[in-house]
Amino acid sequence: MKRLVLFLTAGALALAGCGGSSNSNSTSSSGSGTAGGGNVDITLWEGYTETEASAINKLASEFNATHKGITVHVQFYGNNDYALQKVLAAIAGGKPPDISYLYGSWAPNIVANPGIVQLNSLIAQDPSFNWNDFWAAGRRVATVNGKIIGVPALIDNLALVYNKKLFAAAGIAAPTANWTWSEFESAAVKLTNTAHKQFGWAYVNDASEDTVWRYWAMLWQAGGAILTPDGKHAAFNSPAGVKALTLLQTLAQHKSIYLDNGSGNYLGLFTSGHIGMLWTGPWDLANITASKVPYGVQILPGDINHQTISGPDNWVVFNNGSARTKAAWEFLKWLTSPAVDLKWATMTGDLPTRESVTKLPAYKQFVSKYPGVDVWVRNLGNATQSRPVSVLYPKISAVVGEAIQSVLLGRAQPQQALSQAEQQVNGILAAP
Amino acid sequence: MAAHALRRPAGRSRGHPFKRIASSDNFAGWAFVMPAVILIAIFALIPIGWSLLLSLQANNLIAPGHYVGLANYRALFKDHQFRSAIGRTVLYTAIFVPVSVGGALAVAVALNRKIRGIRFYRLAVFVPLVTSTVATGIIFLWLLDPTFGLFNYLLSLVGLPQQQFLQDPNQALYCIIAMTTWGWIGFDVIIYLAALQGIPADLLEAAEMDGASRLSTFRSVVVPLLGPATLFLVVWSTINALQLFDEIYVTTRGGPLGSTTMIVYYLYEQAFQFFNGGYGAAIAYVLFVAILLVTIVQLWIGRRRVYYSS
Amino acid sequence: MATPSLGAVSERFPPLPDSRSRRRLRLPFSPWHLFLAPLAAIMLVPLVWMAILSLESEPQARSFPPVLIPSSLHFENYLTTWNSAPFGHFFLNSALYSLATVAGNLVFCSLAAYAFARIRFFGREVLFVILLATLMVPFQVLLIPTFLIVKKLGMVDSIGGLIVPNLCSAFGIFMLRQFFRTLPIELEEAARIDGTSRLGILWKIVLPLSMPALATLAIIQFMWSWNDFLWPLIIINTSTHAPLQLGLSTLQGAHGTQWNLLMAGTLMSQVPMLAAFLFAQRWFIRSIAFTGIK
Repeated sequence: MKRLVLFLTAGALALAGCGGSSNSNSTSSSGSGTAGGGNVDITLWEGYTETEASAINKLASEFNATHKGITVHVQFYGNNDYALQKVLAAIAGGKPPDISYLYGSWAPNIVANPGIVQLNSLIAQDPSFNWNDFWAAGRRVATVNGKIIGVPALIDNLALVYNKKLFAAAGIAAPTANWTWSEFESAAVKLTNTAHKQFGWAYVNDASEDTVWRYWAMLWQAGGAILTPDGKHAAFNSPAGVKALTLLQTLAQHKSIYLDNGSGNYLGLFTSGHIGMLWTGPWDLANITASKVPYGVQILPGDINHQTISGPDNWVVFNNGSARTKAAWEFLKWLTSPAVDLKWATMTGDLPTRESVTKLPAYKQFVSKYPGVDVWVRNLGNATQSRPVSVLYPKISAVVGEAIQSVLLGRAQPQQALSQAEQQVNGILAAP
Repeated sequence: MAAHALRRPAGRSRGHPFKRIASSDNFAGWAFVMPAVILIAIFALIPIGWSLLLSLQANNLIAPGHYVGLANYRALFKDHQFRSAIGRTVLYTAIFVPVSVGGALAVAVALNRKIRGIRFYRLAVFVPLVTSTVATGIIFLWLLDPTFGLFNYLLSLVGLPQQQFLQDPNQALYCIIAMTTWGWIGFDVIIYLAALQGIPADLLEAAEMDGASRLSTFRSVVVPLLGPATLFLVVWSTINALQLFDEIYVTTRGGPLGSTTMIVYYLYEQAFQFFNGGYGAAIAYVLFVAILLVTIVQLWIGRRRVYYSS
Repeated sequence: MATPSLGAVSERFPPLPDSRSRRRLRLPFSPWHLFLAPLAAIMLVPLVWMAILSLESEPQARSFPPVLIPSSLHFENYLTTWNSAPFGHFFLNSALYSLATVAGNLVFCSLAAYAFARIRFFGREVLFVILLATLMVPFQVLLIPTFLIVKKLGMVDSIGGLIVPNLCSAFGIFMLRQFFRTLPIELEEAARIDGTSRLGILWKIVLPLSMPALATLAIIQFMWSWNDFLWPLIIINTSTHAPLQLGLSTLQGAHGTQWNLLMAGTLMSQVPMLAAFLFAQRWFIRSIAFTGIK
């Protein structure tokens, strides 16, 4: 019994020691935001890796050095869905960061949190911020029912990247800005060589949003719409929708599409010359360039129009007191100002978030550093529509994702899949 | 009080009455378990209670929720997708547990000998266990790729038709079974190895001297003596199999066409993709009750059929 | 006849009568190798693949299908990985986290398991099932409330926050209970009659005989803590407080993973695990004291 007591005491002491010693380390990074005269510490949560990670750290240090009175602490919060769990835990615990990078798709849900700072008044007070300078697609995703809940942190879109060598070998002329679907289809089929394990195109087929958003671009190109204008019914089960899905089915039947299961292997296949064309965004550009594969970039092929789709993400500000909110806003204003935004773009290859950046003299260096990136920037003009900004969107996406997947796997006909999806989506929209 | 001391549970050897009175047994018993109970109560039982409360709310985990009584549970009853997830999870468990535990026994017996390089073999079996789930997922996605994967290449060498594996709704679940068996068998093996060490040499000697064959000694002496370990592994594997998530997350994400959506993956979708935190908690609770019942049944069967040498 | 020896079971079975053995194929090595070698090969595929990838250049590491015979070996990847993030801190934090949870589990689970196995106390069976029940709720649902509790205790972003919730798991209690129950009770009862306290019996008799089980629990708990990703992600904010798996995830982007560096980092992180396993194998051999029974 004596020994037992000893065990427990030792254990308790050890625990107390553990907790105490490392708590002192954490205060410096959790931020305390002193009012009046002191330095304001703010935390910024991000999931960047590689060049973006070094870029954010570099810029944060630069800001800290030039802005006395505010210190920004950059913290890594994991990537993708894991980040959401961490953010939700922090919100539940009442200790969110001051600024966080949040996916645009989370915006409709995030707005429900009373701790989010709505930026409308801050933007109105500061005309030099020039909200309308941000690309329209980014502004649309940051706005929920008129409330501006974030500043665009990233903007992108889908464009066509093709392998020049494979095109030449198959005797196909390079894609032009006027390429139609039928030209795209015939090129994809010509580029297919099953014996040599060569595919004309790649499509992400894991039934996630990555599967769905490409299809939306095709739907819009054929003149279709996702939902009715009042947002109460599905509108994708239309001739346009069927036409788009049929294109996918035809190409899948010709075995022209490499169906990526979400692991991103399509990129490695493209750079090793197994795939002729990709619909992808600037995030893959750095790897494509590094691989030395001879590539070209063009806007997407079109049907009635050449619309593309954009997937913007936001910097969101959490309310941790007026001092910290003010400091966070200062940092965001600086970070997203045209000059700094161009610096970011040049360091990372991400597209500029503001239109005025393209007019800056140093913009040329950005374009020459990342051959082909200017196509994506110009293509932003084709991103005239956005996905519905609604809390129900993830469910809609899941339904449509499975419909597309079933057609690509040859297990359903386009019309049948779309009708079924329409029924389910209407049910989702109608639920109280 | 005296009645406690006289009652004898099944399976214990007779003729060893306790000399102390029962109350000191109570004190000793509770004192020994107290540290564990405190830790587990704080860090496991309280969170479980909190999620019970969550399951009674409509809560998206971002804004404060509100109580809706049993609405989530009632919705679960009508949820077809949930029912499909249950079916798949049960099928997975029904195959995975016997295959992995049985296979582990065979491997453990093979590893329990003094041949050259046995330490290397044991290490090799342990390797998949320490390989991170992410790396395992990436490797299997490559191995099973319909066009570029190693398995289809091997099939083509022997003239068998190419398979779609993880892209085929009818095959994906079985691929997951294979992948998780590969990844987890080392765990069961080291438990069995430790248990095999505990088999007294003299018992086996006695069996040999009675003229028993190798196989029948194994069947009638070794296997029963491994009973406690087997019970443990069956219960533990079942608990884990019913909660399978990580391997699905890094490979198929519940697809294709939902064919690998197991219960916990469905929960995850509900809570973290559709922001239905309360609904996710309700799913967790239904699963919890199911696992609890299954475990109690397994332990009860084990009580009657497992032989403890004491 | 084969001499009895510790450890190996079937190795001690008597050789078959002569007529049968003459018909059998004589191999220069034990026939078990025919089973074990292919098995080991299957199990080692990922390790080999990771090693190859970790030595490749970045474009080669990213290509698909994977380049299995790299054109050049880049050993400097390991140095690059080490310098890309505070790996020294990651290793230290993981070591602390793992060793502390192993120690905690060995102590607390032994105490509890012994009580569940040998002491008949009021509410024993019900309590056991309640503790076991804590293994039955998926962690996705528990991570937020556990975070809230740790936050209340003031341990967010600290190694204490990692360790304390994992100091005792029902898994260890269950496993050790099963093992303790297989030990012959005569030894313990003899000691009790001699007046040894229960704690003394646990310490002097039960634990020494349970070395394989304790070593197994230690290895498993070490592995879980060493490979833990999700809980550290939720709890830790500062990168120098992060353990290994969390640290490695900085190499893994949503749109672009540095495969060669990630594999180098992963291999570096697995080496201590494998070393710990080799070390613990010594304890898998039954303790010599046991032969004194008869």
